[in-house]
Amino acid sequence: MRPSLGAAFAAAGCVLVPAALFMVFVYVPTEASQGIVQRIFYFHVPCAWVAFLGFGLSAVAGAFYLFFAQQVWDDIGYAAAEVGMLFCTLVLITGSLWAKPIWGTWWTWDSRLTTTFILWLLYAGYLLLRAMGEENEQVARLAAVVAIVAVLDIPLIVISVRLWRTIHPAVLVTRSGEHGLEDPRMLQTLAVSMLAISALSAWLFWLRLKTLRAKSRLFELRRMLATAQAIGDGAP
Amino acid sequence: MLTGFCALLHKDLTLERRGGRVVIELCVLSLLVLVVLVVAYGPETGGRPESAAGALWVALILSGLPGASLAVAAEHENDCLTGLRLSPLEPATIYAAKVAAVALSMAVSQAATLLLLVLFFNLQFDLNLLRLIPILLLGTLGLCALSTLLGTITSRLRAGEMLLALLTAPLYVPELIAGVKASAAVLSGASLAAVVLPLKILAACDLLFVVCGYLLFEYLAG
Repeated sequence: MRPSLGAAFAAAGCVLVPAALFMVFVYVPTEASQGIVQRIFYFHVPCAWVAFLGFGLSAVAGAFYLFFAQQVWDDIGYAAAEVGMLFCTLVLITGSLWAKPIWGTWWTWDSRLTTTFILWLLYAGYLLLRAMGEENEQVARLAAVVAIVAVLDIPLIVISVRLWRTIHPAVLVTRSGEHGLEDPRMLQTLAVSMLAISALSAWLFWLRLKTLRAKSRLFELRRMLATAQAIGDGAP
Repeated sequence: MLTGFCALLHKDLTLERRGGRVVIELCVLSLLVLVVLVVAYGPETGGRPESAAGALWVALILSGLPGASLAVAAEHENDCLTGLRLSPLEPATIYAAKVAAVALSMAVSQAATLLLLVLFFNLQFDLNLLRLIPILLLGTLGLCALSTLLGTITSRLRAGEMLLALLTAPLYVPELIAGVKASAAVLSGASLAAVVLPLKILAACDLLFVVCGYLLFEYLAG
């Protein structure tokens, strides 16, 4: 069988995910002030990174679809938005799990939490549009526009901890501009987790893209068949 | 471009003057939303600027979305949008004219909503209310720019109005937060300084939505 990019992503995920789990639960030292709960940070941050990457890719693919009107860009945008949505949901869940013992509440209307939740709502709307709208070019064009407009929320999320008074920690780059991970093992663990979640998401994206490409091809074949039948019916 | 814009705006306003379909629907919807909110809040809400500001903006969104949808849907009857696209007008000009027409209809209904708000929430009917006008105008422009852009396609779909609300409401949240803050500050008689930042956010969001609509409308209306 010919090796594919998807198989490479799957293999990387199979190696990196157990490695990341080992490093998060065994290798990395427990953070002094927050205790064991802080370890969720090594899943939370990579999930956020992958979600932003997915939504960013969806917007770029949307722009290419509007300009070039090629179905492949629409499929890439859709698949990327789905993967982004999955990991954005995980960001909100892991954030809530961390917030309960640290802040004493599952949720608070903090600026970063609110802007992230708005992003989630925007892409929930995007996916509903895809699910409820008909399979046609107009819906694909509208979805591309929504993806482009929605992605403007991401810079707002990134700078929200510096723009407004917020209780969300700024760990990677603190408000004073330094990086907040004192122990080098913390940085190593975060790097491996980032790679693991990235490989996993790339594999999921690849699988979904293949399904969507097959679906698009099927629609194209059906359309061609209908055209051929119409021509055949019209022939004397 | 300006001639085409004025001609399209004139066409929409003439239709509205003859039928008054959008304005009447918006006014009735605003009235209903305010009544529902007053009943839900209870009688102790009288005179509270925070509740009144919240109610004003809920009425703006809940009446504005179907209003914009209605105005855009009118262009799909007899495929008028295709006719407009075949004219020498730039798609951006068509978009600008539609936004202006919907915004004017909404501004009329907003004036009626403001009067009802004073009545239902037992507010002071004084010159202070005039300070709400720029806030409401900016909020209305943002909502119209966004809902006209997205409504161009959703109005052609099954469950289009629901999809329009699902897509527009999250994008409108920054304007909603700024608008409610600014309106509450004005209604509680706060100084101008308290309104400056929310006004800047409203203006920035408006600019963003209008520019996005102006650039992207041609891909949706095609």
